[in-house]
Order: sequence, then C-alpha cells, then structure tokens
Amino acid sequence: MYAIAIHGGAGAVPRATLSAERERSYRTGLEAALDGGYAVLERGGTSLDAVAAAVRLLEDHPAFNAGHGAALTRDGAAELDAAIMDGRQLRAGAVASVRHIKNPIDLARRVMEKSRHVLLVGAGAEEFALEEHFTLVPNQYFRTAERLGQLESEQRGERVSDLVPPSPHGTVGAVACDASGNLAAATSTGGMTNKRPGRVGDSPIIGAGTYAKNGVCAVSAGHGEYFIRAVAAHHVVAAVEYRGLTLAQAAHEQLHVVLRGLGGEGGLIAIDRAGGVIMDFSSEGMFRGVRDASGRREIAIY
Amino acid sequence: MSRPPLPAILALLLVPAWLVCGAAHGAAPPPIAIVIHGGAGVIERSKMTPAREASYRNGLAAALDAGYAVLERGGSSLDAVTAAVRTMEDDPQFNAGRGAVLNQDGDAELDAAIMGGAGPRAGAVAAVRHVKNPIELARLVMEKSPHVLLVADGAEDFALEQGVALVPREYFRTEQREHELEEARRAEAARPAGTPTTHARALSGENSRGTVGAVALDRDGNLAAATSTGGLTNKHTGRVGDTPLIGAGTYASNDCCAVSGTGQGEYYIRQVVAYDVCALVRYRHMGLAQAVHEVVQVKLRHSGGEGGVIALDRAGNIAMDFNSAGMFRGARDSHGRREIAMYPDSVAH
Repeated sequence: MYAIAIHGGAGAVPRATLSAERERSYRTGLEAALDGGYAVLERGGTSLDAVAAAVRLLEDHPAFNAGHGAALTRDGAAELDAAIMDGRQLRAGAVASVRHIKNPIDLARRVMEKSRHVLLVGAGAEEFALEEHFTLVPNQYFRTAERLGQLESEQRGERVSDLVPPSPHGTVGAVACDASGNLAAATSTGGMTNKRPGRVGDSPIIGAGTYAKNGVCAVSAGHGEYFIRAVAAHHVVAAVEYRGLTLAQAAHEQLHVVLRGLGGEGGLIAIDRAGGVIMDFSSEGMFRGVRDASGRREIAIY
Repeated sequence: MSRPPLPAILALLLVPAWLVCGAAHGAAPPPIAIVIHGGAGVIERSKMTPAREASYRNGLAAALDAGYAVLERGGSSLDAVTAAVRTMEDDPQFNAGRGAVLNQDGDAELDAAIMGGAGPRAGAVAAVRHVKNPIELARLVMEKSPHVLLVADGAEDFALEQGVALVPREYFRTEQREHELEEARRAEAARPAGTPTTHARALSGENSRGTVGAVALDRDGNLAAATSTGGLTNKHTGRVGDTPLIGAGTYASNDCCAVSGTGQGEYYIRQVVAYDVCALVRYRHMGLAQAVHEVVQVKLRHSGGEGGVIALDRAGNIAMDFNSAGMFRGARDSHGRREIAMYPDSVAH
C-alpha cells in the first residue's frame, strides 16, 4: 500500500498563541504538501519523487522553517540544511549551510544522483549547484518579516519559538512508501533562530535526522543536537531490524526513553514497507499529516 | 543503632570503585587501553620501503604512547584520544592537520569529531581551512558551545571567539600532497570523455583514505573516540565525509563501545558504520570483535565500501579490522599489550 507522511516541525505550539487564522494557514500548507506528495504516488511515481515534492512545497511555504521563511542566524541570514535518502540502495545526498539555494532538497538530491559524495557544505555546495546549473537566489529571498521579528525578539533576550509563529525546532520532513514497496525520506530546515553561522543540526546528517533502509525509514523533528548524539533516525531502524520491535515501539522508545533521558524533545515520523505510518512526538505538538491508498487522510497539530 | 559519620560516607563515595574492589578482592585496577589508526588502504605493500615503513611506525608509536601516557597518569579518555589524534595531525605523514590531502582548489579542508561516552557528549567541525588542530576545535565545540557540528567559516569564527589562533592555508600543504594533487588532476584530465562528471571523478589511490583516529578507555571506565581527516585528494570543495558525522565515522557511548572508522567515507555515512557496531553489540549481543567483523567484512564489503574500524569496550576488549590491503594501527593497554601494525600479518610488539 502506498502512503506518505509529512511533518512541519515539532515543539511547543501554545494553543493560545496559535490564532484560528494562523492555524488555518499551517493546515493549508500541510495539506498542499501532503497532497502534492501523494499525487506523485497515486500516478505510480517513486517514493523518492514523492518526498522531494512534499518537502519542496513545505520549503516554498513561508510558514515553515525551511526554504522561504526559514529561521535566521544571528547574522540575520538564512542558512539551510537538507537531506534525502533512498531506501532501496542506501543512496543518500545532503547539503548543509547553503545560503543561496531556493530548494535545498533539490540540491541534496542532485548530490545523491550526480556526485560521488553524500554531504557537501557551505560555498563548496553552492559551487556544485552552479556546476549543475542551479540558479542561485539572493539570501533576501528566504527572509520574511516574521522571521526578522523573531530574530530581533530573540536577540533582545526573549525566548522565541522557531516553530510558531511556530517553532522551537522547526524542520520539515517526509517519508513515503510507493506502490513497489520502496521507501524514501527527506528533511529540510533553516535550523534554530539566532543560531551561530555554520551550526549544523541533525537534518542533513544521515542516521541522525534522516534514514531510510529497505525495511523502515524515519525522519526526525526536534532539538538537533540531541538527535545527533542519539543517532535517532538510524536508532529507530536498528531497533526494528535487530530487536524485532514494532515501528511504534521503536519510535516511542527513542523519543520517550532515549531522547528524554538525554534531555531532548521532538518528534519522529516513520514508515514501513507495508505503508504503516508512525507519527510520534514528546513535545507539545507536531505539525503533521498522513495520507495512504486506503483512504486515510489526516492533518494534525496536537 | 549508631550511624557512621557523614564525612566517612562521603569519603567512601569518593573512593574510586576500583580501589574498593581491589581492596576487597585483591584484584588489579580496571583496565586502561588506547587504540589508534592512521588510515586504511593507504599504501600498497609493494610500494612500501623499509625507510617509509619505519617512519610510519615511529609516527604511530608516538601517537599511541602520547595517548597512553595520559591514561597512565590517570587522565581521561577524552584527553587521551585528543593527545593521540593531535600527534598524528601534527605529523605530515598522515592525512589530517599538517600534511592533509588537498582538495580541487589545492587547499586542505579538514574535518574532525570527538565523542565522550559519558553523557554521551560530542563535538565536530567540518570543512575548516585555517585550524591547526581540528580535533581541539571539535572538543571546544563539545565543551563550549551548545552545538555538536559547526562547519566552514562559522566554525572558524567560533575558533576565533575561543581564542584559537588561525594558521594560513600554507601551513597544511606539503610537497608530497601537492604532487599527489597534480597526479590526481592529470588522471582526471586523461579520463575518457563521457565517463563520470567532474564530480564523479575517480578518487581512489594512495593516501585517499588516510584518516586518523583513536579510541580509549580510562581508569574511571569512560570511553572516548576521536577522528580527524583531510578527506580525499582532489575532492570537491565542501565535501564532508564520515569523520565528523556522529554515528558514521565516530561514536562512543559508555553503555556500549567507542568506535573510529577510516575508509571510503560515503559508504560509512550511508551505513552509519560506527553506530552500527554499537547497535550490533547492544541489540544483537555480539562480541565487540564479532560486531566489527560483521560491519567491516560483511556489510561494508558487500556494499563495496573499503576501509577499517577500530573499537574498544569498557572491559578493555580491542577490535581492529579492515577489508583494505592494510590499515595503519596500534594498540596499547594495561595488560602489557603494545603493538603497531600495518598489514594483516605485520604485528610487531
């Protein structure tokens, strides 16, 4: 059964601060990404194309912390990370700390498909983009008034969420299973508001924020440093493969035992070859959606 | 019933566990150990001269003994792996720090990571060009920042904020590496048209996989792992391998083991090699050597990935395995073991 699940970040989503209008905007954005990815699967496309399509839509939507509307560094610039992984052959591509790539997920995919490498960072990644005929965009493209406002609040010493308008740990991601039973995962983020330039979180690190292996695939949404130390996405896959845990048990253990033990919070979405989807989080909320061939279609925040 | 005075209880709590055990059972103190590698698949045996071999052995011995000396005087495993890796970074023979291989622009671009098994805690830097000892900057990221991984200019900004003096790029370049880059460029130019794009250039060959690393166990039972590299000769600017990625090239956790890898980084990233060794030990209940064998000789070999892994657990068990022609390596522990080796059968005590 083909299926796709997406998330638009996990963290504190205080209901009080989320106006009805804003909530609608998030829901509309999630729906568009979910349906965009699902449409690929529906017409017989690959899970890889589906997760790329869904993440690209989330990158283009200014409410989510990725691509246009990404959180800003302490220098006021957007610095973006993304990764994609194909569960079939353990192929993967990732970019980190790029500042002029409209859709980092597309560049991550190009790294996977057109280079011998898995991870390219900074100016070298943008050099590769130029060699691959990507059009670079000015950093201005990513900045929104809202993110600038958040950065100013944070720099005045007020704690702001990178997610809400929402997000302590806003990241976007997608996992999918296509009609052939192949799995893929994709993640993209602007990282933390007011982050130090050059800081890279878990998103572009294969095994931490993103992992896909024929049986299972997972992407995480949370406080990156904790997810890196816990090798979170791979841990879920290993727990299923080596211990025979169900996907739900593996995700639950990772979030509520391992990461909580380390002091980190966030969420995980994961999928198996049967199209079974798990969306779990230890934070207050996680923007998420799932749609599958059985007719299930859900968008949820809390 | 009279209670023992509080200070006495506190004093007991402060006595290291091994002293108490030793007193009770007359047993030896717990083991200390360090294992290092200076790269896998670095030099074909046929091209190794006695003089070169002696020089590499001396370099490995210096790093091994520098790390072991820290453990022997009661220092932490983090200090020990830092000392061992720093020694190899400063030795121009190894592909890390000074003498690192050069990228397509003719610059050294360096990656390093360190992880302490208690916590666990980790720090890493990637694509830095002006940091003399990247392993020390990785450690500062772990200890002085809330982050795990900093890259490129941002990582160097952090270095300056921490009072780390930057060095010019020339510091890293050696004649040998410039020569290797020229050779790689010539091979690239001679490549028949239509085969791989400029990014898919052939990057194999001597010195392309000479990462350095160390794992150690200290008196307090804490494990640590550290890895440092210049990556691949003629690599694309900005290319980051497995070395600075926690779980791929470097991993340590006190409830399992410490691991450092050296090999074709892209394979190590995709297979999350270092963490996989730990996962096999923890979840499949494999012995350390068996887990390392499974990852290096079965999984990596099956996928076509070449390289090696060193690992150490809290009992002081040591594993060093590789599927390449050779791996520069060394091990020393409190049971009197001290060896330096390069090829499958070249153990020397």
